[in-house]
Amino acid sequence: MTIGTTTGAESDPRQSKPSLWPWYAMGVAGVVTLIASFVVPPDAIQEQLSRILYVHVPAAWLAYLAFSITMLASAMYLWKKSMTWDRIAASSAEIGVLLTGLTLAVGMIWGKSTWGVWWTWDARLTLTAIMFFVYLGYLALRRSTDNLEARARRSAILGVLAVVQVPLVHFSVIWWRGLHQTPSLAKPASVDMDTEMVITLFLAVAMFTVMYVSMMTKRVELARLEDELLERDDSADLPVAGDAVVAPTLGGES
Amino acid sequence: MTPSFFSQASAITRRDLMRERRSGEVLWVTLPFGAVALLLIPIAIGVDTPTLKDVGVGMFWVVIMLFGVLVAVRRTTTANQAERDMVALTGLDPAASYVGSALANFVLLLAYEVVLGALTVVLYDIEMTGFAWFPLILILVAAGLALLGTLAGAIVAGGTGTSALVPFIVAPLSVPLLIAATQSFEGLRLGHSILTWVLMLVVIVLVLAIAGVLTARPLQETS
Repeated sequence: MTIGTTTGAESDPRQSKPSLWPWYAMGVAGVVTLIASFVVPPDAIQEQLSRILYVHVPAAWLAYLAFSITMLASAMYLWKKSMTWDRIAASSAEIGVLLTGLTLAVGMIWGKSTWGVWWTWDARLTLTAIMFFVYLGYLALRRSTDNLEARARRSAILGVLAVVQVPLVHFSVIWWRGLHQTPSLAKPASVDMDTEMVITLFLAVAMFTVMYVSMMTKRVELARLEDELLERDDSADLPVAGDAVVAPTLGGES
Repeated sequence: MTPSFFSQASAITRRDLMRERRSGEVLWVTLPFGAVALLLIPIAIGVDTPTLKDVGVGMFWVVIMLFGVLVAVRRTTTANQAERDMVALTGLDPAASYVGSALANFVLLLAYEVVLGALTVVLYDIEMTGFAWFPLILILVAAGLALLGTLAGAIVAGGTGTSALVPFIVAPLSVPLLIAATQSFEGLRLGHSILTWVLMLVVIVLVLAIAGVLTARPLQETS
């Protein structure tokens, strides 16, 4: 059965038993990230503040991944017309927005302590904020219609176009000189970081990936249930306005 | 006989321009609105001539990006479902419709840029360094914004809250255009080569044109 054509008639979506493993996985990954970021020695100059790195960088990378998956799933929807791809695209965009928000929030805390201001007009910061709003627009577009097919097709086109923001944000630190540091890891010459810190950073990225996969699993599941409910409500023989009004009868008897 | 692609596109362009001539929406509403914005900015940031001279070009582009969207999407917010259905039933090629609408928007946006550009030069005392490049940059930005606005209008057509949604989608997506436009003018002011930025504008225009043409039919089917 294709999910895109299901009517949800054979099982009540409200009665479906949700899977619990994503919650456990998210909890374990969160705890591991927290422990690892506090076990690793602090940076010689930034000291304890450097621990923010183990949330800020993985959140940013996973946001890139989330938006790239939105683009790929959107392209797949336009090709295959399966609602599964639409749900994957939308769920990934939603999680990407969450992760971009986290990246910005954590980065601002770091910025206040290091640069003395919550916000500075650096290209990386500004373009990240713009990327956040581009995908908020994507989510707003999805709320503008109840027609599942129209919603999927329109948002798929925007999902493909919007991904241009990802390389723009990533390479902004190279294209424009600003306060934000250039890449420490993603460069061919050498890695500037201490081995322990690099290992911890990669562990945090792995844990954030687990959290992303877990959140995606739950969100896609929820999106499927939402769509099934929407289709069921649309096709149900619901009472129309005025049904409760009955014709008056003599003597008050019906 | 079915009219050619270009006949269909030019018919749409003529229709949109004629509609604008009759309604005067851009001339009498959006253009004065942009002019008012250019007048309000100095009141907000201080009427210091050297400062205004420095920020003038940037403010001009911000006004073009934010208010120019209103030019590009003016029809989207008023076209109703019946009108869209009727256009679809005529058998008009959706890609031709996109190109035609984008072309009409381009003409209006270019005029918008020229008028507000002249006003910015006067109000903000802008130096005209590298004047020869101005027309090319204005044309490319107008084309990019027209294509983007027309595409965004097609994406949200028929949805709820369209009038607010289109500018919300277009504004952040127009950032590459804004960067290329402002950097071009900055390059001209400093006497640097602006070829990279002009090339970036050309690429943006081409990408948007291809995206709009390829997605026109699927978008029409869902509207």
